[in-house]
Amino acid sequence: MNLAWKEMKKNKLKFFILGSIVFLVSLLTFVISGLANGLSEDNASLIRNMPEGQFLMSSDAEETYSMSVIDPGLRDQVISEHGGYAMSLQMGFLTDDEDRQTGVTFVHSGDHQVSNGRIILDESLQKDYQTGDHLTHEQSGTTFTVAGFVPQAKFSHAPSAFLSADDAEQITRTKASQLIFVPGSDELSVSGLTAFSKSEFLNTIPSYNAEQLSLNMIVWFLIAISGMLFGIFFYMMNVQKIGLYGILKGLGVKTRDLFRMMWTQLIIITLIALTASLSIGFSLNAVSPGDLPYLLAPATAFQLSAVFTLVGFFGATLSGVQIKRIEPLQAIRQGEV
Amino acid sequence: MMELKQIEKSFSAGEVSEQVLKGVTLTIESGKLTALTGVSGSGKSTLLSIAAGLQSTTSGSVLFDGRDLTSLDQEELRALRAGSFGFVFQSSHLVPFLTAAEQLELMLKTSGRKLSKKAAAAEISRVLTRVGMEHRRNAYPDTMSGGEKQRIAIARALIHQPKIVFADEPTASLDSKRSHDIMKLLKDITTDTGTAVLMVTHDEEMLGYADRVVEMRDGLIG
Repeated sequence: MNLAWKEMKKNKLKFFILGSIVFLVSLLTFVISGLANGLSEDNASLIRNMPEGQFLMSSDAEETYSMSVIDPGLRDQVISEHGGYAMSLQMGFLTDDEDRQTGVTFVHSGDHQVSNGRIILDESLQKDYQTGDHLTHEQSGTTFTVAGFVPQAKFSHAPSAFLSADDAEQITRTKASQLIFVPGSDELSVSGLTAFSKSEFLNTIPSYNAEQLSLNMIVWFLIAISGMLFGIFFYMMNVQKIGLYGILKGLGVKTRDLFRMMWTQLIIITLIALTASLSIGFSLNAVSPGDLPYLLAPATAFQLSAVFTLVGFFGATLSGVQIKRIEPLQAIRQGEV
Repeated sequence: MMELKQIEKSFSAGEVSEQVLKGVTLTIESGKLTALTGVSGSGKSTLLSIAAGLQSTTSGSVLFDGRDLTSLDQEELRALRAGSFGFVFQSSHLVPFLTAAEQLELMLKTSGRKLSKKAAAAEISRVLTRVGMEHRRNAYPDTMSGGEKQRIAIARALIHQPKIVFADEPTASLDSKRSHDIMKLLKDITTDTGTAVLMVTHDEEMLGYADRVVEMRDGLIG
């Protein structure tokens, strides 16, 4: 006989309220997590979507890519010895024929071959421009023709604009590069250069770390709160049912069967609530407005779900200590359950 | 069937100690309804809970089926209560989210009595009919009268065919007519099934149903 299910069937409202709270807290956590990931993509999808590898910048740049200067001689030597390609990133504006300005990150990257005078844009600009449009960088007076679009190539919350090496030199007014990217997991040691893994390099991007820390802190706070909520709710329910547990123990029901009843209810509530919140969380990926950086990653969502379930399990189990403590005689003498 | 020998029980609160049972010896026989009576504080409910394995003794022994309950651990006592004892409390203490039939099904499973699904259903119907509650088999406790709840509690106490039923003031919350109905039922059960019933009551009207009346006074059999 499934006592857990029978109780839930008889006390639908009570369990619906508990499930609703789990649903709302988990949905909020998924949405915040989606926003954290979305912002992270918006800030650095250009880097996040690159393969694992080492980013080299000059050692005197104080871990700030924009201050890094790698002279062409050293750059060419490193690339010939270790492979990889140079990268430079420069914030700026492009102006169209109607004098509309668009903020972009100019990127010269060895893995995007672009002809001189042409430019490849992040797909988020596809709503404003099309292939063949002309865009001008006013400071250098260079005019580019849009040659195409690439997906998920944003940096510092701005769409990337990929250039040729010559055009990049004209815009940055230097032949030097900021970075060298060497694919692979081997750690590199080059005199005068400091190597960063992908995640280390992401943390050197101004605002990226602060954004992620704030949002991740909110996510983990929500998880802690949900664990406490589980604990408090099951504690309240157990307090209400303490007489019943005592009577059942008096009749000979095993304590472990009473725990099993509580855990079954926890699992049913959590599964239903998480299924609902995950469905909505993933649906938002499709329906969130383009300007809202929201992206709930399945791996993150399922990891969070597992953490939710574990935290709920511990919260409920801690509150269930009362079940172990209740003396049957005490419950019998307390009167009606 | 059950022998209680020189049972003593003391309760302590700080430095103050009170002896509630002062060496009680009592035999409970199969097929007999034994009534424990006495004024409040005479120790009758304490004696019943000790006999039922719900409370420990300070000294003395409780012999049942060749075993001394005072030497059993909690798990052994639980198994004994589930398999060999039945309980009827002053408040019916039914599980609020189970129907009448489900209350009995739970007790059958708890006792470990092995029956097929079909046989269990037939047994539940038989016992519900026995207590006159077959027509209420799908009713929840919150839709039952006090008398109906006590009948279901009795059915639950009998479904696993226990050797002893412990009844603590089973008619205290019922009116006179329902009290007599319940007592007739308990009496019939002892006669028909050979089950022993140890009942605590302070209602003198109900003593007429007992095969043996044991009066307690100041922790001793008077």
